[in-house]
Amino acid sequence: MSGSFGSLSFGILPWLIAAWLFAVGLYGIVSSRNYVHLIGCLAVCQSATYVLLLAIGLHRGAGPPIFYDHPPGTRAVDPVVQALVLTDIVVGAAVTALLLAIALQVQKRRGSVDPQALRPLRPTQ
Amino acid sequence: MSPRWRLLLLTLALLALAPGLWRVARAMPPFGSPTSLYGPAINQLAPAARHVSNMVAAVNFDFRGFDTLGEETMLLCAVTGAVVLLRGSRGEGGRDRAGRLPGRTVAPRADATVLVCRLSAALVLLFGVYVVLHGTVTPGGGFQGGVIAASSFLLLYLGEGYDVWRRLMRGPLLQLLEAGGALAFVVAAAVPLIRAHPALTNLLPLGQFRSLYSGGLVLVVNDAVGLSVTGSFGMLLLEFLEETRSSASDPVPDEEDT
Repeated sequence: MSGSFGSLSFGILPWLIAAWLFAVGLYGIVSSRNYVHLIGCLAVCQSATYVLLLAIGLHRGAGPPIFYDHPPGTRAVDPVVQALVLTDIVVGAAVTALLLAIALQVQKRRGSVDPQALRPLRPTQ
Repeated sequence: MSPRWRLLLLTLALLALAPGLWRVARAMPPFGSPTSLYGPAINQLAPAARHVSNMVAAVNFDFRGFDTLGEETMLLCAVTGAVVLLRGSRGEGGRDRAGRLPGRTVAPRADATVLVCRLSAALVLLFGVYVVLHGTVTPGGGFQGGVIAASSFLLLYLGEGYDVWRRLMRGPLLQLLEAGGALAFVVAAAVPLIRAHPALTNLLPLGQFRSLYSGGLVLVVNDAVGLSVTGSFGMLLLEFLEETRSSASDPVPDEEDT
């Protein structure tokens, strides 16, 4: 095992990058003092899924899954995960907009976007 | 829970998960080798079966078309939710004129800014439409092209200023684009059902491989999604920008809080 450790550790690097991105985003969410910042951190978490999916779909030495310039049958990367990432990004953008709209409403009603300051979820006096 | 405790808990959780993560990462297939048979099978079969040269569009709008219908609905719901929340205090009236904050000065724009914005907005809109229409042939498609087209609205705002922009951007038109695109998707999914085929069965003529009108139903659904995404993101821009014009002292109609 230790002999192949060099190549092995490089081969798992994409998975570790995805995990690291997710962990960094999670740290940001947990330590956040502002909902806008928190929503940004959520987007970082989400980008971990892009890295993971695209890394799964990659075939070494293969081209893009578009058979316009090169004929069908040429080696190409997995199109399924690319389609998933695509919808992921668009829906993620819309959900981010929804969350920002919620943050705006929170600011209007409570006068703060600090999750700490909003801790008791009871009606204010 | 204080922030320090939360961070401590997170650290403990991550440390507890780390060995499992390491094992999963080690057990993953080596980076760069094919992992599933599904993708290569589509690469092999789809060009002949659907006359589509963009495999991502073929997956999105045909092979996993039903899944994309769900995602399109999700997009619609998220945008509807955001619009409802943003309108909150402004009410549903949806005035067509620009909201105005008393005392806010309008910064004059340089002619060069206006010119560059007009030119680039037109070009970006054209590029967005191009990306949507060529979705089945070259990289792109309804989702990407729709977002590009919607971003041209923002350039227009940059150049024209809010008043003119608000007159150009008709809320009902954007809503029509958004809902009409989604409806067209649903209709495209439902029509094959009437003829006793599974939903989204590609019954239209497939056209010629590598031509603009290739893919049959793939192209229809792709364009429907393009319209819907343009409308959705235009609607979001409209509501968020209108939000910057509503004053903070507007009364918030509230039942439980006050």
